[in-house]
Amino acid sequence: MVHIADGILAPEIWISGFILTGVLLIYTLSKIKIEDVPKISLVASAVFVSSLLYVPLGPSSVHLLFVGLAGILLGLGAFPAVFLAVVLQAFLFQHGGVTTIGINSLTMGLPALISYGIFVVVIKKLSWKKRFVFGGSLAGGIAILLAVLLTSTVLVVTGKEFIGLVVLLVASHIPVIVIETVLVGGITEFLQKVKPEMLVEVKK
Amino acid sequence: MTHFDIDKYAYLKSPFHNFDPRAKVLCFLLLIFSIVLLNDIRVLLIAFISTIILVLISKIPLLFILKRFKWVALFIFAVLVVLPFTVPGENAFYIGFLSVSHSGILLATRVSLKAFSVMLLIFPMLSTMKFVIFIKTLEHFKIPDKLVQMISFIYRYIFVVSNEFQRTLRSVSSRNVGKKTRIFRHHILSNIIGMTLVRSYERGERIRIAMLSRGYNGNMKTLNSFRMTKKDLIKCSIIIIWSISLHVIVLTKILDLARVVNSV
Repeated sequence: MVHIADGILAPEIWISGFILTGVLLIYTLSKIKIEDVPKISLVASAVFVSSLLYVPLGPSSVHLLFVGLAGILLGLGAFPAVFLAVVLQAFLFQHGGVTTIGINSLTMGLPALISYGIFVVVIKKLSWKKRFVFGGSLAGGIAILLAVLLTSTVLVVTGKEFIGLVVLLVASHIPVIVIETVLVGGITEFLQKVKPEMLVEVKK
Repeated sequence: MTHFDIDKYAYLKSPFHNFDPRAKVLCFLLLIFSIVLLNDIRVLLIAFISTIILVLISKIPLLFILKRFKWVALFIFAVLVVLPFTVPGENAFYIGFLSVSHSGILLATRVSLKAFSVMLLIFPMLSTMKFVIFIKTLEHFKIPDKLVQMISFIYRYIFVVSNEFQRTLRSVSSRNVGKKTRIFRHHILSNIIGMTLVRSYERGERIRIAMLSRGYNGNMKTLNSFRMTKKDLIKCSIIIIWSISLHVIVLTKILDLARVVNSV
């Protein structure tokens, strides 16, 4: 439920969301080669489908996001990938909103870019054997934390009325942060063993 | 996967099914944005009713729409439950020890009317054509080529990947990894997801090589060509006029005038 639906935000906020997203899109797209487009889209849709998984947790279940995983696998390409995932979710599942596409891509896409940065730094600086698990976990967990914080900030800026909603949002995502920290670490380790070229390139 | 059947009813016949896709997408986006910008709750109600009429015209079965409302409903539910209790304001009434504020109810109603109207409008816009045509439409809007390429690939690969996912899950369950052996122990689950990523990646590589060998150069060719007709122009102008007049109603305060006349 991290996506903000239509009708909540003030026009100034969602319009500036569109503008910022546009700027970031132009920048990240210019860094992508056209030959890489099929590969990036494939990984993007794989991440998209796995984020539809429900993991049972106690009596209920949680819905994973895998924003950090997108960053680790796609690098800068993660931003357009997240943007398109938000668009598809709004149009195919009616999840999120149309006017909030800009702001939702920011709250999900920026954490993806940041987790990419964290992952690269960890792999570069550390030399111990378990650094891929560590980097993956860190990137996966921080991405969700940031996504929740950014969404909460947007809601609080919109109006004091939404503080109750923010509390609900943060509380319901604490388990997601824990689960993704564990899972993304495991996936990163697995990919590093089985198919290391899928992870983002890190130049030593 | 049943999730991805937004264009399941694209074969029906209705005024929106034979609407020029470019005009249709633009008009409906305009209407969506104009509804979200409304703030008067009575005008929002009028807009909501008009979106229901649009859905009825599009002949998309209502049951199909209701089934897809899970996410919106969940969100609206959260809004409806939380806002009336947490928004400060004059207290309308009490439920037990909780106070329900008048402004909270108003805000919650406004938000849910907007969210529901937008979600309803997506159906006459997108369910009335194949999703591939929608992607083709985006090309006409001068959206960067790489982005259009990516969305068309992502949409097509979603089906490939979810097939791979189902295959992996089937092979997992046929090896007796059930609830009792705790399938969701983290390393098993992360290996399942990792394996699916690897499998889809390899399959995608083969698809890419096959496409390259058939002369793929970054363009998708389809046989559809778009044509605007007079009827399209009429439909277009009706929707545009309606979305503008919603705001005219607010600005000219016609609804308040009625009340003034009544009191006189």
